[in-house]
Amino acid sequence: MFKVLIDQFWSLTISGVALGFIYVLISLGYTMVYGVLRMINFANSEIFMWGTFGTVVTNRDLFHYTQLSEPAKGFKLVFVLLSALLVSMAIAGITAVFVEFVAYRRLRAKGTNRLATLISAIGISIALSEVMRLLTASRPVGSPRVLEKLILTEVWGANIRLDTVITIIAAAIIFFILERFIKLSRMGKAIRAVSMNEDAAKLMGVNLNRVITTTFLVGGLATGAAGFFYVTVFEYTKFNIGFTMGMAAFTAAVLGGIGNIRGAFFGGVSLGLLEVYASAVLGTQWKAVTVFIVLVLVLLFKPNGLFGEAVQTTRA
Amino acid sequence: MNKKIKQSLAIVTAAALAFGLASVSSASAAAKTYTIGYQGPLSGGEASTGIDEQNAVKYAIKLFMAKNPTIKIKLVSIDDQGDPAVAGTVAPGIGTNKSILGIVGPAYSGATIASLPYYKAGGLALISPSATRVSLTDPASPDFGSPVFHRNVATDDKQGPALAKYATKGVSNAKVFIFDDQSAYAVPLAGYVTSGLKSVSGASLVGTDSVPNTTTDFSPTIAKIKTSGANVVIYTGYYSQAAVFIKQLRDSGSTAVFAGGDGVFNAQFAVLAGASAEGSRLTGVAGLADVGAKVEAAFKKSMGVSSGVYAVEAFDGANIFLNGIKAGKTTRAAMLKWVNSYKGKGIGGATLGFDKNGDIAVGGFSGFTVTKGLLKNTGPVK
Repeated sequence: MFKVLIDQFWSLTISGVALGFIYVLISLGYTMVYGVLRMINFANSEIFMWGTFGTVVTNRDLFHYTQLSEPAKGFKLVFVLLSALLVSMAIAGITAVFVEFVAYRRLRAKGTNRLATLISAIGISIALSEVMRLLTASRPVGSPRVLEKLILTEVWGANIRLDTVITIIAAAIIFFILERFIKLSRMGKAIRAVSMNEDAAKLMGVNLNRVITTTFLVGGLATGAAGFFYVTVFEYTKFNIGFTMGMAAFTAAVLGGIGNIRGAFFGGVSLGLLEVYASAVLGTQWKAVTVFIVLVLVLLFKPNGLFGEAVQTTRA
Repeated sequence: MNKKIKQSLAIVTAAALAFGLASVSSASAAAKTYTIGYQGPLSGGEASTGIDEQNAVKYAIKLFMAKNPTIKIKLVSIDDQGDPAVAGTVAPGIGTNKSILGIVGPAYSGATIASLPYYKAGGLALISPSATRVSLTDPASPDFGSPVFHRNVATDDKQGPALAKYATKGVSNAKVFIFDDQSAYAVPLAGYVTSGLKSVSGASLVGTDSVPNTTTDFSPTIAKIKTSGANVVIYTGYYSQAAVFIKQLRDSGSTAVFAGGDGVFNAQFAVLAGASAEGSRLTGVAGLADVGAKVEAAFKKSMGVSSGVYAVEAFDGANIFLNGIKAGKTTRAAMLKWVNSYKGKGIGGATLGFDKNGDIAVGGFSGFTVTKGLLKNTGPVK
């Protein structure tokens, strides 16, 4: 039973961490919005899905790569990858702001209760995924291979592959930048202020609408980056992938303590590792079962998740 | 609808019918007219399956009449919506309408079971292109449809062994890893593959997995495959997942043979997986487009739409009846005898003919190898 784990430990660990970093970035979309609004942004999964298409469109339509073309090299590789990353982040960021405008802002201005925005968020997430379904005729979409999956080196019997290395390093950098932004920038401080006490922040002259829009935008940018890494590693997307990935990222956010940015980080990485280890040891059919058993156990002893505190306590 | 409109519609319809019949009878004064039926879902949620199949039947009739100008064929559309309850209400009338010599269909197993008593009583020959429930041809089952029921589609208990054979072909000392996508289609098929593997000499099962069909990260499964030392990997799910998987398997450096069933058998598999798909072995039933791009183009030109799933089966089934009519089998009894003893070739080259229980006699599954991004038919799996 544990033979696979012992035999393939490092391979599993590396792919688990890479997957975990994708979860981290998506769960930022949940955790940021929750930290500020105390509401779950159910449309974040579809924002992610739209982000994945940003990379596909960049590779396929902007740079005209096909399934048969050679992977890019050198400067061009960096250029294409960076463009795809920026396009994905832009699409997801714009979609997130759009979601805030359509599903949250007006209802909030009218002073409706939280359940109303919950439903409108679910509504817009269905709309987003249906629009993509119609655009792609319900078909899965493959992305051409831009980044050659070079095996860089072998460490303890595990292949260290270029795409996983890039995912881990780049995702960590993006996470670090966002975290610094929340901690140190003026807008970041405003976000934390609103998260701590909305009314007091308003009285201090914080522009609430701008803070909330920025929160959605930042969450969207992180989620879009996740879309880029997802397509770069798996070279595949479909109109309905948001649900599975969104569910996992949401679980990661809760595991780490929703509303807490560092919680999202550790929640995401531990979820990625937990998933691959459980699948390898018990069989993939036990993956979800194991994940949720662990989640329930964690919540039993730490009801607010591993890090259990909200955005506001992430002090500078 | 308001009553007046309804009435006027009825009058218009009746007039059109009378006119249509009149024009047909005058045009075909010299030709003799025979009737066959198609039964399947032509309306409701499952309609696309039925419409696709019926189009193939219509196409067969069109080609037949062009070749045999002295014979006129009339097609009766029997809409059962794929629903046993609906089938139970339409079948009695069809069963007693002796002008109908045979039916291509019913498309669905449940509707077939509901219709069978009436067709058995009427001695009406059936050739279903798509009713795959095993009990329909099982003598021990109350659903047993013999002697009227036939199907020219093979069931998954036949596909499993064919897939096991095709996947391990030419692999000495085959160590097989089987995994499914947890669907109602994939899990039983994986079971049939596993039992089929026992009759392949030298092959052994070294591992299994069951992966939800929403999975995109297959690294745990690949870790298992590597640990198990498998040189053949069989997946019984669908093409989109298979494409994601095969890329990851090849990227991990594995050169094991990859094989899949008719769920993976889709041109999109090779498109999505690109170079990684090369050499993959798939079992499937050839569609019109697999038979040849020209055949599909001719179909599209004639019918105005692309052919759908089961087009080949429906087309072949219709031709069995049409050849019978040409051979002078113009009563139900003669037609039933003709179908029961039929031997011939289908459009895709498959051997047509039925065993004593009504199942297609010869295999029915072809092997396809992905070659230069296309699914290349390597002939029936034997």
